[in-house]
Amino acid sequence: MVRNCMKRNVVSIQSTATIREAADKMVDRHVGFLPVLDHENKIIGMVGLPDLLTLELPAFFNLLEDLDFMSDFGAVETTRPAPAQVDALITSLMQPAITVFEDSGLLYAYGLMLKHNLSDIPVISENEHLVGMVSRVDIGTAILSSWKEIGTTNP
Amino acid sequence: MTGVILSSLIFLLTLYLIFSEKLNRTIASIAGAVLMVGVGLIFGFYSESQALATVDFNTIGLLLGMMIIVSILEPTGFFQYLAVLVGKRSKGNPVLLLVLLGTITTVVSMFLDNVTTVVLIAPVTILICEIVGLNPQPYLMGEAILSDTGGVATLIGDPPNILIGSASGLSFVDFLTHSLPIVIVVWLVALLLLRILFRKDLAKTPTNLDALAELNPKNALNDRKTAIKVICVVGFAIVAFLLEEVLGIRPALVALGAAAITLVWVRPPIQETLKRIQWDVLLFFAALFVLIGGLQAAGVMQDLAGLIAQAKDLPPVLLGLILLWTVAILSAFIDNVPVTIALIPVIQGLGTAGIPVAPLWWALVFGAGFGGNGTIIGSTANIVVASLSEKTHMPITPKIWNKRGLPVMLATCFMASILYVVFFAFFN
Repeated sequence: MVRNCMKRNVVSIQSTATIREAADKMVDRHVGFLPVLDHENKIIGMVGLPDLLTLELPAFFNLLEDLDFMSDFGAVETTRPAPAQVDALITSLMQPAITVFEDSGLLYAYGLMLKHNLSDIPVISENEHLVGMVSRVDIGTAILSSWKEIGTTNP
Repeated sequence: MTGVILSSLIFLLTLYLIFSEKLNRTIASIAGAVLMVGVGLIFGFYSESQALATVDFNTIGLLLGMMIIVSILEPTGFFQYLAVLVGKRSKGNPVLLLVLLGTITTVVSMFLDNVTTVVLIAPVTILICEIVGLNPQPYLMGEAILSDTGGVATLIGDPPNILIGSASGLSFVDFLTHSLPIVIVVWLVALLLLRILFRKDLAKTPTNLDALAELNPKNALNDRKTAIKVICVVGFAIVAFLLEEVLGIRPALVALGAAAITLVWVRPPIQETLKRIQWDVLLFFAALFVLIGGLQAAGVMQDLAGLIAQAKDLPPVLLGLILLWTVAILSAFIDNVPVTIALIPVIQGLGTAGIPVAPLWWALVFGAGFGGNGTIIGSTANIVVASLSEKTHMPITPKIWNKRGLPVMLATCFMASILYVVFFAFFN
């Protein structure tokens, strides 16, 4: 069960926060993923590093299929988002929350992360309150640890 | 008389739906065409066989052939290669970059579909501008305006030219001798004016030139072999277009022949290749032919030409200029294809009324070609660069287009008018 391998100490952010505050929190706590909570501490969404970093990516990034012919982003490397962009509410960048319950199966949680291309997934209780978080590594190693029970091949 | 009224109503309704953008233009024209044939059958002014005969397969075949060739060339990265190559060559000089990008977009789109050319070159343009910290607006607008202007030079450069060529019998060579010289002058005027209008943006000093110097065009070319094969076939096709009259073949056969040779030589995955063909454009053309055919069969065109035939007393130069500017203004706001298809029978009607039509065909070519530069919606290339620019920090807005594009359109039409008047005898 997810409960057995989840982290209980979760860094999260309130829905009233700005993008700038979310970025600060990620930097200070060195995390790449923040569940977004409403005033009742219910999870209403989530933001990851890629969501914030879309503000950094140049326009050509999404217009071209490959970038093999270039070796540096030049001026783009030092171009920062405009103040108005980082002062917008975090809810404007947030993704809909994909969550698992404490008693969800490990393989189901892993499958869900794979389908949605997530490296972390929030864990919620029956009343939708955030209770923890698991990463792909948490779940993956938990599954692999059960392989110790696999017997040896009979010759 | 019933036929005249009904066919006109159906035609006007279809035009209204297309131009008000209440309905996609292909959907509106197919529905209109079917309605025209149905009503024509009931009231006896139009038959199925007549409708089929109106579709100009020379136009459709030429378009289809060139579209197949482009759809094979597209995934090779050839267009990106060219853009990266000239971007690097410019060494970040803003004006040189505008000239070079404008030139390759124009030259390529003189022979290949200009919308595809712009769609594939514009993203690399944005890339080059972003890595050296320049505003992409002048370059994107320049590519759209200059490629539309350049397309006027050849029979295959622009859909209106294909239509006019087919209806008037003007050949590939006629376009090179009559249209190309005018286009060269007009194109230079457009470039010069863009240079002046965007002088502030073009005076900026680019940064990070190392990033530009390190671009490797060869890596942008994914499939060199196929690209070379396609370019070879296009080269042969151009020679065949030039020899069209000597060989006694029509442009559609040349284009479809070139497409067939490329398909056999390259053997691309056919499903994917055909998916890139703009079938909606081909159907739009076919449906418009059927619609206009209905008007002709009902006698509307004869009535209309009869009205305009009173213009007989006007000096031919003035008639040509009126046509050029009317078409140019119409094309600035609406698609120049329906404008051209609708005016072709009118000009043919004037011909039967005894008015010399040769100069009128050229007026139509110039008006339809240069008029589209006037507004952000004037041509498909304009719409494409504007929508791509929305992804950058500096989107091209209708206001910017009116300030920078409209003057170019007015100047090019004015220049074309002067040359038209001065060399009028040559167009006759």
